Amino acid sequence: MNAHKVDDDRRQRHTSASAGRHSANRSVTGLWSRLSRFEQVVLILFAFVLLMTAIGPSVAPYPPTFADPLQRLVPPNGAHPFGTDENGIDVLSRLIAAPRTDVLIAVIATTLSLAIGAPLGVVAGYFEGADRRAMRWISEGTLRLLDVIQAFPVFILAMVLVAIRGTGPVNVIFAVAFVNFPVFLRLVRSEVLSLREHPYAEAALALGNSELGVGFKHLLPNAWPTVLVQMSVTIGFAVLLTAGLSFVGAGVSPPTPELGAMIASGAKFMVIGHWWVAMFPGLLLGLIVFTFAVMGDIAGKLMEPRQQTIASQRLSANDRIAPAAEAAGPSAQGGVLSVRGLTIEADSRPAVLNDVSFDLMPGEILGVVGLPGSGKSTLVRAIVRLLGSGLRQQAGHVFFRGKDLAELDEKVLRAIRGYEILPLLANAKSQLNPLVRVGDLMVAHIRAHHRCSRREAHARAARMLSMIGIADAEHWLAAYPHELSGGMAQRVCLAIALVHRPPLIVADEPTAGLDVTVQRQVLDLMTELCRQSGAAQVLATRELGIVAHYCDRVVVLNEGLIVETGPIRDVLLAPRHAVTRRLIAAADLRVVSAAARTNMSLKIVR
Amino acid sequence: MRLLKYIGRRLLILIPQLFLISIITFTLVRMLPGDPARLELGPLAPEEGVELLRHQLRLDQPLPQQYMAYLQRLIHGDFGRSWVNSSSVAQDLLVRAPATLELMIAGMLIVLVVLVPIALLSASPSRGWLDRVMRRISFGYGLLAGALPDFWLSLVLIFVFFSVLGWAPGPEGRLAIVELPPERVTGFYTIDTLLAGDFDTFESALAHLALPAVTLAFVYGAPIFKMVRASMEAALRSDYTMYAEGLGLPRRTVLLWAMRNAAPPTVVITGVVAGYLLGGAVLIETVFNLNGIGQYAVQSITTADYAPIQGFVLVAAVFTMMVYLIVDLLQFLIDPRLSARAS
Repeated sequence: MNAHKVDDDRRQRHTSASAGRHSANRSVTGLWSRLSRFEQVVLILFAFVLLMTAIGPSVAPYPPTFADPLQRLVPPNGAHPFGTDENGIDVLSRLIAAPRTDVLIAVIATTLSLAIGAPLGVVAGYFEGADRRAMRWISEGTLRLLDVIQAFPVFILAMVLVAIRGTGPVNVIFAVAFVNFPVFLRLVRSEVLSLREHPYAEAALALGNSELGVGFKHLLPNAWPTVLVQMSVTIGFAVLLTAGLSFVGAGVSPPTPELGAMIASGAKFMVIGHWWVAMFPGLLLGLIVFTFAVMGDIAGKLMEPRQQTIASQRLSANDRIAPAAEAAGPSAQGGVLSVRGLTIEADSRPAVLNDVSFDLMPGEILGVVGLPGSGKSTLVRAIVRLLGSGLRQQAGHVFFRGKDLAELDEKVLRAIRGYEILPLLANAKSQLNPLVRVGDLMVAHIRAHHRCSRREAHARAARMLSMIGIADAEHWLAAYPHELSGGMAQRVCLAIALVHRPPLIVADEPTAGLDVTVQRQVLDLMTELCRQSGAAQVLATRELGIVAHYCDRVVVLNEGLIVETGPIRDVLLAPRHAVTRRLIAAADLRVVSAAARTNMSLKIVR
Repeated sequence: MRLLKYIGRRLLILIPQLFLISIITFTLVRMLPGDPARLELGPLAPEEGVELLRHQLRLDQPLPQQYMAYLQRLIHGDFGRSWVNSSSVAQDLLVRAPATLELMIAGMLIVLVVLVPIALLSASPSRGWLDRVMRRISFGYGLLAGALPDFWLSLVLIFVFFSVLGWAPGPEGRLAIVELPPERVTGFYTIDTLLAGDFDTFESALAHLALPAVTLAFVYGAPIFKMVRASMEAALRSDYTMYAEGLGLPRRTVLLWAMRNAAPPTVVITGVVAGYLLGGAVLIETVFNLNGIGQYAVQSITTADYAPIQGFVLVAAVFTMMVYLIVDLLQFLIDPRLSARAS
């Protein structure tokens, strides 16, 4: 169920983003055009089901309870397109009349579930966050009680409830409502819990409204979209439940036209080949449940606020200072890495990277700086060929030691990545698989590129960790990533990056999120070890202070374009582009304040 | 050590839960109009018998005593008697339980062997025609599975594979009418026939199990299928999978590790579905006439036979609670983050 949600969320985002380009107004046609063809069809079917519920019994060609003993079990023909049942009643007429029973029962029952569940949910949600312990206990107790109620299989519980109170539509409604109310209680409770953190809830409280009053007046209406989506799904489920109950004789009984009972009456004829009595009601039942389920998704999508596509500000051509010296030629002599005319495009936005070219010599450290969103991360990911979905390399080449990475087959690429080109990415903790021990990752990585036993690899991983200044390496090798601090995780990634002594390390904000002291330790270590092994580095960061301190050369990116490049001194002393000047101004501030705080003097270029 | 502590705490929660279940089943029968003793013994029982049971149930005493009497009976394995079959309900349930369990296990096996691999394949990035076909199948299945009623699907399968094609046996039960059930060891016909070395009957038992199990798997496997696909997709898109790719780890390792991440949500949803399965088995058993505890409950409801209903509801709730317990423990074993939080 959850899976479904994830799926839909993704689809929603995708479609609303692409639809956002076409229509700006929120008119009916606008809404309609935001739906996929498939969803439009479902919407029409849904309208059709509602129409049948509304007027079905009065438009049926034959009276739906009129039995003609002479016309029993007639196969589909001209007069009876869907045949007749064992009593000689026209199946089509019963089909047209039946949704009123099923859908009406389901809608009323679900509304009832909501009417019981929603207020209790608001109360439970409010009690849960209350100061008084007794209130929290009540809320906790309610939830545990729900666990037990939900331990009874839904169908059996409903069946027993109907058995106790007797068959008939009213009792079916009660039973279906009872088994579904916990769904709404839980949903509204979790909505309230998340909504009460919102500013307007706090504002209302500050104005002197009572807590529960706020819950009912302000939070419940805001929970509506989610609740409505759930209602649609639950109605579909309730239709299925009603039909199932009637099928075993614990629901609506004949002669009232009802789909489950119709299937039951046709069941015994199915075996001997009279398929039409049970086949059509089942198909219609499936259709109704299906449309309600998909309608939930559609409703959710239509109510979701549209994503605004940010107007893209393209740079004019003369805004760009092209690094003319590096533009031509496949690859500079002796270079480790040459990027030529690299252009990366995203699904619906302008180029994320536009005609980016530069070279990197062995042992050289190149800083890539730019404002957030300038394309730094994309550049790093493009070099390690980890663009992910939604990004495409539109033009250009990335040469590694003269080989175009895009033209390598997967096997060769696998051998190069992680052995000769090592990624070092931002937020190391999320780069480590939470369910894989640090040691297992390091061993797998060592053995992926170097033939050795597991034991040897393990020893090497331990040595590497010690070398990087991690005491008690064995302990950390046995640890899961959640046991690591951010700095420790980054050091592990650094150990991984250095273990094969690669010629190239590509780093993207490798110290983001670490505090200044740890940041310096990690960067010092990295630079020192790179110097020792002669590794070249691409170091993408938004902090010019870091670049100033560690890099030999710098590339300034803005909106996917290289706006400035050169030796670090030249660029910092004589910035030519406005963005560079902004970065320098920002860096000065930050470096100065950081230095003041930690009492360390960073090398600042004035 | 941590695990033992967690198991201990989790079992401690089970006790009040079981009490609540017994209170609910007790209340269910008290909600019925009329005399519980009369209801249990049926309309045909003599007045003296009803009087005796009334005394046993302590119906002349206040409700707490009545509840204690009910608990005492439960602890002694006495679920009352069915007045329709004039048999012990506990005995009836015990005899019928293997049929239901066999159906549920077979259905889950189909889910694990057929549906989960399709879900995993359809989640992995597009490579060849096989993955494309898998994605088609998975899209269509995702649309259909949640909407089609299981009892109707059973009928359609019977119509197609029995009435039209003649490939499968009809809805005649667990074996053909002329066949004798194997000597009872486990109660599972598929296992007992193998133990007895009776391969013909084994084949027949398997054939009779096929359609119901497929129906169960098709309808109730859908949430598992969707969850496996979604969590595998999420794992493959995640930062850590990208990083693993960036380290040049073998594709096999990358996929296996992603599956590890897809496992915890899959275990949870499988547990939830297994809890529902007993409810699902009710209708499928009835259509295929498998004579398990689900069909027993349906029959009891149509004959207003209350002791079996009460017994079945109790068994179903306890079963679900147990499944949830196992799921929690499995979760704890799979996910190191949980064990860290619990300590």
